[in-house]
Amino acid sequence: MALLETENLVKEFGGLVATDEVNLSVEEGERVSIIGPNGAGKSTLVNLITRRLDPTSGDIRFKGESIVGHDPHEVVQMGVSKSFQTASIFSDLTVRENAEIAALASEHGSFGFKLLEHRDSLTGVHQVARDTLDAVGLLDQADRQASELPYGDKRRLEIGIALAAEPDLLLMDEPTAGMSPEETEATVDLVEEVKRELGLTFVLIEHDMEIVFRISDRIVVLNRGQVIAEGTPDEIKGDAAVQEAYLGGVEL
Amino acid sequence: MSDEPAAAADGETGSSFADTVGIWMPRGDELRVMTATAVVLAVFPFVFSRMPVVSDLLQGYQSLATLILIWGIFALGFDLLLGYTGLLSFGHAAFWGGAAYAAGVFSQHVSGSPILMVLAGTVFAVLLAWFLGFLSLRRGGIYFAILTLAFAQMMFYMSSSPLAFITGGENGFTGVETAELFGLFPLESELPLVLETLLGTWLYAFVAVIALLCVALGYRILHSPYGMVFRAIRENEQRAEFVGLNVWRYRLMSFIISGFFAGVAGSLFVIHGTYVPLSSLYWTTSGEVVIMTVLGGTGSLFGPVVGAGVYLYVENIVSGGHPFEFVAPFWHLILGLVFVVTIWVFPRGIWGFFRDVRDYVTGGED
Ligand SMILES: Nc1ncnc2c1ncn2[C@@H]1O[C@H](COP(=O)(O)OP(=O)(O)OP(=O)(O)O)[C@@H](O)[C@H]1O
Ligand SMILES: [Mg+2]
Repeated sequence: MALLETENLVKEFGGLVATDEVNLSVEEGERVSIIGPNGAGKSTLVNLITRRLDPTSGDIRFKGESIVGHDPHEVVQMGVSKSFQTASIFSDLTVRENAEIAALASEHGSFGFKLLEHRDSLTGVHQVARDTLDAVGLLDQADRQASELPYGDKRRLEIGIALAAEPDLLLMDEPTAGMSPEETEATVDLVEEVKRELGLTFVLIEHDMEIVFRISDRIVVLNRGQVIAEGTPDEIKGDAAVQEAYLGGVEL
Repeated sequence: MSDEPAAAADGETGSSFADTVGIWMPRGDELRVMTATAVVLAVFPFVFSRMPVVSDLLQGYQSLATLILIWGIFALGFDLLLGYTGLLSFGHAAFWGGAAYAAGVFSQHVSGSPILMVLAGTVFAVLLAWFLGFLSLRRGGIYFAILTLAFAQMMFYMSSSPLAFITGGENGFTGVETAELFGLFPLESELPLVLETLLGTWLYAFVAVIALLCVALGYRILHSPYGMVFRAIRENEQRAEFVGLNVWRYRLMSFIISGFFAGVAGSLFVIHGTYVPLSSLYWTTSGEVVIMTVLGGTGSLFGPVVGAGVYLYVENIVSGGHPFEFVAPFWHLILGLVFVVTIWVFPRGIWGFFRDVRDYVTGGED
């Protein structure tokens, strides 16, 4: 059984079909990249999976269970975490608190009655937050206010928040967008480290082909909402339809 | 992710009697904050209304000191919603006035014990907050503000005529029958010995003890996981949802908690005045608590209490003449000016200004 499956998934915005009969399947432990030109429907697909958007038709199953009809926080509780295309962090909180919020939600569920307990008593939460910040290289900045971080660090915190939720499936929407070459390099290293050490299943949306070919087991190519090709990095490099529709005949 | 049973196991199953008691013990800075609050509460009426020179300057009086604490409790709870969770309610008169009527009617028909009156009013406010929160929190931002306002105004009209046989309609509720505290001490009587000089009346002592408990409760909530979650929701509601938090339920909790504080305050208000004016449900009451909170400084525990103090001071003392005869007729204008100037010069309110000064002096980062 695949970890994540979409079945004839369709999303229409007015007359525009942003997701067109997509059948995607992600196995446990697999790293899948979704590529495609601007407006191909990559973000829309991810937003459907995280329940930020309602599908027009079709089904999405996670661990065999349909998640259409669940609230976003329920999907996260089931084990799907997402890093946003822009740095979506808690600006006025410290870096540590940013990670703690995610760890709290994952350790103690979507809602609890711990309103009289002290935060310091949540040792499990602190440990997860610490480990995560260490992993994304922000531990030495833990007590800074998140809004003070430079942009690249904010993006890494963004990934850190997604990781602190301890997901079974991590969806990353352009994690390197807007980063400098050095920051991009550091982020790719981070993703590779996550891949190696945590054995995490992830779906990555990325424009940089070099990164995509380096870290994916499988690549899915979207164009105008449709899957036009799918295969290993080598297969995609040699695919004529992809060359035509997306890569514009550029030699790779 | 799916290890909730395990988390529950080391969280709950392991809790012994000692842990249960432990939860209620003050910890860390809590004791320090409570002690400081207790000291301020203990000297406030003396400084305000009896201390030579100072009280002559201030022109304060005992009953106003009590009223300031009562509104302070209201504003403190309101700020948990506005300053920490980021929700602007324009209908908190519903809980303040609702609790006042509930406590008043309770005193007439069931018991005039001040403690039971507070309990009755608060329970009413909490249940009402649950219900109205459920209906209002479906929409965010301006819709939430308008919905809360609409519900509170509905309650105002209900008690002004359809329910006048209970509430007294336009005349307000006049049947309040407050009994002695613990069946022994009339609230308006003076405290024994030095306590009389410091605190004045039993009523003040009663209100001050409850205010102290409210400060402790507020402090504790803000330092629990809830405080962090509330701030996270204020900062980025969408992200909070996408780390797996049920934003809706936390918001409802925040709303109910602020309803609780409004209920305690509203009940004390009827005990203090032995009368419930119809205006306690009017939208101006909702507006007043917003102004007090913003004036004092949102996102702090004590700011709103200070805001309540300044607001009531201008409303009651400056409007009353000596030594403010020259401005007394314009006290509404003075209040507006105080508000505008404060927010202009200190956008984070009076308390925010104190904080900035402290940080400047200590060079600390907070
Ligand atoms: N909320 C929306 N309402 C209407 N149209 C939308 C909405 N969101 C996306 N679209 C449209 O759907 C199409 C797919 O958009 P999407 O953001 O999924 O593309 P993308 O592949 O992520 O592009 P990019 O590489 O620029 O991030 C686009 O034509 C976009 O304009
Ligand atoms: Mg996109």
